[in-house]
Amino acid sequence: MTLTAFPPPPPGADHEDLRQEVRAFLAEELSDFPPEMRAKSWNGFSRDFSRKLAQRGWVGMTFPKEYGGHARSALERYVVSEELLAAGAPVISHWIADRQSAPLILAKGTDEQKRRIVPRIAAGELCFCIGMSEPDSGSDLAATRTVATEVEGGFRVNGTKVWTTYAHVADYMILFCRTGKSEDRHGGMSQFLVDLKTTENIQISPIIDIGGEHHFNQVIFDDTFLPSDALLGEKGGGWSQVMSELAFERSGPERFLSSFALIEELIRLLHDDATEAQQAEIGRLSAHLMVLRRMSRSVAGMLNEGQNPALQAAIVKDLGALFEQDMPRLARSLLARPAVPGGVSSYAAVLAYTELAVPSFSLRGGTREVLRGIIARGLGLR
Amino acid sequence: MESMIFDMAERLFRDHVNHGLREAAAGGQCPEALWTQIEEAGLHMSLVPEADGGFGVPASEALGLIRIAGAHGLPLPLAETLVANAVLARAGLTLPGGRLTIAEGGSLELTRSGKALHAKGHLPIVPFARWADRIVTIAAIDGTDHVLSLPVKDLSIAPGQDLAGMPRDDVEVDLALTEADAAPLSRSFGGSQSSDVMRGLGALSRSLAMAGAMESILTMSVEYANDRVQFGRPIGKFQAIQQYLATMAGEASASRVAAEMAADSYDTPTFALAVAAAKSRTGEAAETIGALAHQVHGAIGYTQEHALHHFTKRIWSWRDEFGSELDWTRDLGRAALTSPHDTFWHFITDSTAQGAPA
Repeated sequence: MTLTAFPPPPPGADHEDLRQEVRAFLAEELSDFPPEMRAKSWNGFSRDFSRKLAQRGWVGMTFPKEYGGHARSALERYVVSEELLAAGAPVISHWIADRQSAPLILAKGTDEQKRRIVPRIAAGELCFCIGMSEPDSGSDLAATRTVATEVEGGFRVNGTKVWTTYAHVADYMILFCRTGKSEDRHGGMSQFLVDLKTTENIQISPIIDIGGEHHFNQVIFDDTFLPSDALLGEKGGGWSQVMSELAFERSGPERFLSSFALIEELIRLLHDDATEAQQAEIGRLSAHLMVLRRMSRSVAGMLNEGQNPALQAAIVKDLGALFEQDMPRLARSLLARPAVPGGVSSYAAVLAYTELAVPSFSLRGGTREVLRGIIARGLGLR
Repeated sequence: MESMIFDMAERLFRDHVNHGLREAAAGGQCPEALWTQIEEAGLHMSLVPEADGGFGVPASEALGLIRIAGAHGLPLPLAETLVANAVLARAGLTLPGGRLTIAEGGSLELTRSGKALHAKGHLPIVPFARWADRIVTIAAIDGTDHVLSLPVKDLSIAPGQDLAGMPRDDVEVDLALTEADAAPLSRSFGGSQSSDVMRGLGALSRSLAMAGAMESILTMSVEYANDRVQFGRPIGKFQAIQQYLATMAGEASASRVAAEMAADSYDTPTFALAVAAAKSRTGEAAETIGALAHQVHGAIGYTQEHALHHFTKRIWSWRDEFGSELDWTRDLGRAALTSPHDTFWHFITDSTAQGAPA
């Protein structure tokens, strides 16, 4: 069989009680949160919101209790995640840590690292950023040049990371860099837990995106000393660690709900005066969304079983990005209303924000071309 | 998914459904011997509940047979017979055996003459009617849906065909029906209204069949790309071809998930919405997958001699039957826009909830 299997989401994946609790919480916490802020989707930053969410037990849900977690299933976590995204809640402060950094630390970290870091992530206190991309290493992660050289008591790091989302506010970075010879493309890579608040000789400067927003940063390591206990996982095992991290990064509901604020605005305006042509477009959108959601929940079920559904995750992300990128076109085909940054109406503001955001959706977390290369390999090509 | 019934069907179709059989069927020859084997294996009864004479196969599994039949381009009304038997059983009518088919009966006029019912009207484009013993349909009288079991020998049939050369016949009905051939549908299939029942079940069948056929088209395309050498290497080594095949894989995966979502909601309250999503999503994928498969296969795939056309023609026919993408997206969109839910998101989560059977 050529086709990749997407098993049905496990029975009971709806967790209706939990969903209603989260909805009630969000209705209260975000009662004054305007659509143009919700449009930022998971790029909205609020330490306060993340902390409140953690107090409800909705950060670190899948972590073991001994590390401050709640030992709940990946599917319960999925319910909370999708409700947060559908509401456009400001989640980035804990999102990356909760989604991939903590699972990585729990899987590969030392007991000391787990005890020191994971409970604070579960408390919604720590913001993580991802140190993978470099100026000459975008899609080609194996071309990483940043190097950590072993010295007395630790490592000296030299190199530059770019597109590092929220590095300017983050507490930690998980740094991916070379610790071995550069001839070995996949070997000789390692990951480090970098404390951005206390480590010296790290220079973080903003990269402003086309929407005028400051999410990205350039992070320069200039003979930066990292203690031995900053090494995360096995020295030289970084490549396979990064690859398994990506299944978490690529399959979640954030891969098709990034434009959801625009959809809600559009549907609010069309409401029940819609023409048949408009109804059909909304129906098509709904069908895509229902199917993507089932695919993504299927992957959550596989992650819950401890599988590594990297291929399925690539498929979800590729289809999801096409869907969320199509929303400005769809909105413009149904309503003749201009996009206005800052907005004469919430629709105009949300459309403007979303139009400028969507080009990034098939770049971040693996470009469309890279994902399709992974899928092609999975089909038995190459 | 492993199950005995899947293995049995897979083996039967692999051994008997080949290019020659599909060609012969497109030329008008019904593969009678294969049907006998399907009946002997009991496949045609697997959607009938155990209490009504079925074998207790879970509905989602029985419906999976339609996907497998689609994957092999089976030129027989297995999907139609599965559904027809389930509908007859639900109305408490006799399961007559043999090949059955289904039709949307909304245009039939039912009148009473004493205890008997009289059905009159036109059923357009009925799949496999001339190869079937009976047409099972639903029409209403006095606001009550009735399941009708129409013997084909008593109907007037004008033969037609779909793009793949499969029988699609125009049927004139003018027939008195006894209690043995007509009965009220006391319990619907998960919230569907009146004549929508046959349309919904037909659309579910076509979604599953398209998902299966598209899986085969993908497999054929990958094999061709690995075998065909141009410019000194298999064309599957070229990134342009890889991107096409990856796109096809995404569409085929989404189609299978969509069709299985609808199959899982069979006879539950979310059935109508899930079918709308499945039929429109798979129909849309049929466009992309058909186009890219022919692009990958080049000129050879555009010939009668090559097997590809049996599959691409089938998906292009099936997408039109029992409601096209336009029909179903309009239904789904109207439901979304007029739903009593507070937000669109709540509509989405409720329509994809794994509800309990209705």
